[in-house]
Amino acid sequence: MILINIDSLSTTELQYIAQQEGVKSWKDLDREELIDALEEAFGEQDDENLQTIKGKINRNRYCNSLTSYRGNSHPVNGLPGTESLPESYHDTSIHLLLRDPQWAFAYWSFSSHLLEEIVDDEGAPLGSFFLRVSQTPLGGGEESAYDITIDTDDQQWNINLPQMGASYAVDLCWRDKRGEEQSLARSNSVEVAQPYWVGKAGRLGDDLSLFCIHFSSLVTREGEIIDNAILRELAQQMSGGVL
Amino acid sequence: MNTAKVSLILNAHLPFVRHPEYPRFLEEDWLFESISESYLPLLRMCNRLAEDKVPYVFTISLSPSLCTMLKDPVLAERYTQYLERHIELGEKEVKRCAAEQPEFSEMATYYLEQARLNFHDFVEHYKSNILDGFKDLEERGYLELATTAATHAFLPLYKEYPSATNAQVEIGVQSFLTTFGHLPKGFWLPECGYYPGLEDVLRSHGIGWFQTASQAMLLSSDKVENGVYRPVYCHNGVAAFPRDFKGTSLVWSNESGYPTDKVYREFYRDIGYDLPMEYIGPYIHEPQVRVFTGFKYWAVTGHTDQKVPYVRSLAQRRVVDHAKNFLYMLKKRSLTLSNTLEETPFFTLAFDAELFGHWWFEGVWWLEEVIRLIAKSEDTVRLTTPSLFLEGDEKLQTVQPAFSSWGHGGYSAVWLDGANAWSYRHIHKAIERMEELAERFGDQVSLKQRFLNQAAREVLLAMASDWPFMMYNKSSSEYAHKRIIDHLSNFNVVYSNMCKNAVNTEWLVKAEKRNLIFADIDYNIFNPKH
Repeated sequence: MILINIDSLSTTELQYIAQQEGVKSWKDLDREELIDALEEAFGEQDDENLQTIKGKINRNRYCNSLTSYRGNSHPVNGLPGTESLPESYHDTSIHLLLRDPQWAFAYWSFSSHLLEEIVDDEGAPLGSFFLRVSQTPLGGGEESAYDITIDTDDQQWNINLPQMGASYAVDLCWRDKRGEEQSLARSNSVEVAQPYWVGKAGRLGDDLSLFCIHFSSLVTREGEIIDNAILRELAQQMSGGVL
Repeated sequence: MNTAKVSLILNAHLPFVRHPEYPRFLEEDWLFESISESYLPLLRMCNRLAEDKVPYVFTISLSPSLCTMLKDPVLAERYTQYLERHIELGEKEVKRCAAEQPEFSEMATYYLEQARLNFHDFVEHYKSNILDGFKDLEERGYLELATTAATHAFLPLYKEYPSATNAQVEIGVQSFLTTFGHLPKGFWLPECGYYPGLEDVLRSHGIGWFQTASQAMLLSSDKVENGVYRPVYCHNGVAAFPRDFKGTSLVWSNESGYPTDKVYREFYRDIGYDLPMEYIGPYIHEPQVRVFTGFKYWAVTGHTDQKVPYVRSLAQRRVVDHAKNFLYMLKKRSLTLSNTLEETPFFTLAFDAELFGHWWFEGVWWLEEVIRLIAKSEDTVRLTTPSLFLEGDEKLQTVQPAFSSWGHGGYSAVWLDGANAWSYRHIHKAIERMEELAERFGDQVSLKQRFLNQAAREVLLAMASDWPFMMYNKSSSEYAHKRIIDHLSNFNVVYSNMCKNAVNTEWLVKAEKRNLIFADIDYNIFNPKH
């Protein structure tokens, strides 16, 4: 649980949250001690840097995030006859989701039949799994690929997409002890188009009207660029690395 | 100088939360708070402007899940009880403040008046259905109403499942037709989530326009001539209206947006948290779960807990200043752009509706002031809607907008991060299995049809963008997690039973009562061969 704008909260409210979070002797703590205790409690709950979290939440303050009712852990009963979800589904498949132009998310599963086949009688693996990420230029051209070693227990991976202007697909592969490889399943492909202005940042920066129409529209009056990696890169190129 | 066009688009959406199995349910307050603080005040604003003969027009997208809740008699009854509690609390607060904290008396009286006004408007005027209010304003030419995806799914993450994206769009359109009696022309892309090709799904359901994130233009693989300052046509003729980041950030920016002004009301200080349990107990949730009551007496002041009391007259004066500033910035940019653009600039100002009134207490006042100022500046700036603009046969460039969203990072990262990525394995599988069921058991009747229809509802409800967002944002994430699990587990009941050619009737009856949404759904919509 993350508190929003913790330093804006009243002491009563901090006490209430501390009580809910199981902070001992919350009644005896003063305001600063309560904040420290809560920050410590949240630090334990989450590995992320607290300042980063606070900053992130702070940014969302006026966005439409729904009110978090702190400490609300009352149960919502399921309907009769429902069962827990399985950890994975027993078919051999791999799926690829585009996260942004640099990263995709792959998840996969193995059939139980396959998992039985790849181990010897004592359960030792007879080879290893790996992911083969294939990249094909959108305008046509030669396919290239790189491999990622995975463990039998792995079920998902963030896949780096090295270049824009290409489509990507991932094969879930097996390599036996003799070094022979086979693709067990191939994902859908995802396309990453090359933005027109990438590689033309100089033109955008040199021409005031182009800059005004295309780039300054994505910057706040305080000079904050819209949150986007490609735009930040364009800004860097235009400014010669100053921004 | 040509007159710049401004299109204000508000997205009114809340996830489907309805728990009649509990006497009161915390997260249902999301709806009640939004009706009290945003939707009813916005309706009053629109009617006030109309009565004053102020020429105006703007767009509101009302999501199917929100419309379902706004039409639901159980939730309407609960909202009435919520208002009754607020009136009672207001009466107590007026007395308490007069005796103990006179500096808060004015606001206590104001909140009581607002609660009574809301009660009157909701019960007496709208007869518990405020959708009639929006419909009336549309019929009188003040609003363009638009729809969105059935459960506000973040569509780029379902690109590989055309049956599911189609179902989200088609049910969004059908739900709008059922509610408002005509087909929508506009479609709010949930979270501004766009991927190339989505326009084809929209077009197949008669949609003429949608809005996009600002960077969908600069990051296009085409050279977009006018940046975000003109809508564009996609290659299939559907228009895309890019959001004006610079203009909206005057409001939206958490660092410098108008709502951060120190005289405005502080959202996070509420008597639900500040007053002793023995006093506030009856107005929060059992067992002693403190929640926002809406009674807030402090001003933003700054990054401190030493807040100063809120003074409404001061805030109202600041609202006028901010409205004037907004219009000044708009006109200034329009003037600058008219020298560089070949066409008249067009500003698409897209916001979440709940920002106004709920999150930003003074937001509705500000919006009203902006509209009044624009009405007085018709020679330089004029309000329009996307559909009215497109009717004018304006010359627009045809381009391919880029994959984008308005979330952190500008793509899918918010809805696909470490906190929520686990869910897609299960939701995608449910979609695949729903397709399988629709194909294997097409055109069923009676109980099997109801069973399969409920399965389709559960899949759609699991797809809502709200759940992954809440998990990402670490806000009510336990509830969001549970909702995804529940909908998928419910779906699995149907799947496993249908594979045995059985119908679990006890489950069906209970599930239909609980997740009462999309009454006219036809599960065959998931058949990939249709």
